[in-house]
Amino acid sequence: MSNSSKIITDAPAPEGFSGEGFFATKLDSVVGMARANSLWPLPFATSCCGIEFMATMASHYDVARFGSERMSFSPRQADMLLVMGTIAKKMAPILRQVYEQMAEPRWVISVGACACSGGIFDTYSVLQGIDKIIPVDVYVPGCPPRPEQILDGVMRLQDLVRSESVRRRSSPEYTELLASYNIK
Amino acid sequence: MALETSVIQNTLTDRFESKVSDFQQIHDILTFEVNSESIVEVMQFLRDDKTLRFNFLTDLCGMHFPDAAVERQLSVVYHMHNWYDNVRIRIKCFLHGEKPEIDTVTGLYLSSNWQERETYDFYGIIFKGHPQLKRILNMDEMVSFPMRKEFPLEDGGRTDKDDRFFGRTTDNC
Amino acid sequence: MESNQSDYLPILIQMLLAVGFVVLTIIGSSFLGPKRHSKNKDKTFECGIESVGNARVPFSVKYFLVAILFVLFDVEVIFMYPWAVNFRAMGVEGMMKMGIFMVLLLVGFFYVMKKKGLEWE
Repeated sequence: MSNSSKIITDAPAPEGFSGEGFFATKLDSVVGMARANSLWPLPFATSCCGIEFMATMASHYDVARFGSERMSFSPRQADMLLVMGTIAKKMAPILRQVYEQMAEPRWVISVGACACSGGIFDTYSVLQGIDKIIPVDVYVPGCPPRPEQILDGVMRLQDLVRSESVRRRSSPEYTELLASYNIK
Repeated sequence: MALETSVIQNTLTDRFESKVSDFQQIHDILTFEVNSESIVEVMQFLRDDKTLRFNFLTDLCGMHFPDAAVERQLSVVYHMHNWYDNVRIRIKCFLHGEKPEIDTVTGLYLSSNWQERETYDFYGIIFKGHPQLKRILNMDEMVSFPMRKEFPLEDGGRTDKDDRFFGRTTDNC
Repeated sequence: MESNQSDYLPILIQMLLAVGFVVLTIIGSSFLGPKRHSKNKDKTFECGIESVGNARVPFSVKYFLVAILFVLFDVEVIFMYPWAVNFRAMGVEGMMKMGIFMVLLLVGFFYVMKKKGLEWE
């Protein structure tokens, strides 16, 4: 007895062939689903957007229900790098080193106006957008963005991760992307 | 038993004659100018003298006036505070625009260590005798001194700026 | 009911399979997974800055001394367990033999005390 006004709480299954007691699908879909639903963030919180992320982590907005249960502060164990806040030019090499030391597969969300483009701080000491030094997957604009918007950014990233190919690391586009940022 | 500004002024001029000059009262703080070579002995006298007792260095910063004569373009401003009588003074030392050098006061006040580093970082004023004169707030690879008037505030790398939103017109940009 | 050695063979096979599966998956996945190495990626993580010096600090030898002496005298106590169970059957002769054993170890303990081996500074 399901009517259209009911909220759907089941996630859609990936395309596959199902039968009596089994469900066969592509490896890419399964791996993508597993990765998307367990993205461990590395909160690189420098400024006010970090406070909004703290609200997102708390119980009211709860980013843990999206799989980000454990915040990893070590890049070796993190999936996504959440850059939140103003990045000064003095901080830029540190951010780059943290990104390079992350284990692949890794994604970057830039939260807030300052991380996306320098924000209102168009000055000699602020890096005008982190995409000058590291490749970014999702930009969340706002000053600061509300927790709902940060969650929306995480969900966009989940769509990206779900549809990513398992062999992306060896693809020429990926190596070209890293080479354009001078990341070996 | 307050410390009068006339007492301060007279004590200083008796002791240092021409090295201190131009005594003014700006916003309730006695302000005077000192020769840049004699700043250390003047500050030591201010700190150690039994009537003056200026025991606290509140702040140390720089100024840049590109329109002044070249011997007086850059300057260092010291604010000192007497905790016993609650009296503040301000000392200005004008330096040469192209070769700004002055002795460090880290021997007298330890707090001036970082403040002199900041002044060097933003104005390029060299403090002779400083134990570690290097940039403190800006990135180490920076070659220019941002607080000087010829240095622009903006980064110059932004492509998304629409001057209409910033109130910039061809006249005031 | 008599149980001979061959009845325990299934347990051994099951243990081999379990441990073998774990070892195989760990080693296998390290060969099958894609890897990317680079100079910066393999450096020690120190919050984004360059690490200085060696992380290994030399530790005091007193910890080692206490641990190793504990092990020695603990083994002595272990040797005394069979005597504790059968001491009535072993009688006075058993007690003399154990006494000689303990006296020998006591000489060692006396040496440690004299050499101040257990002094904790």
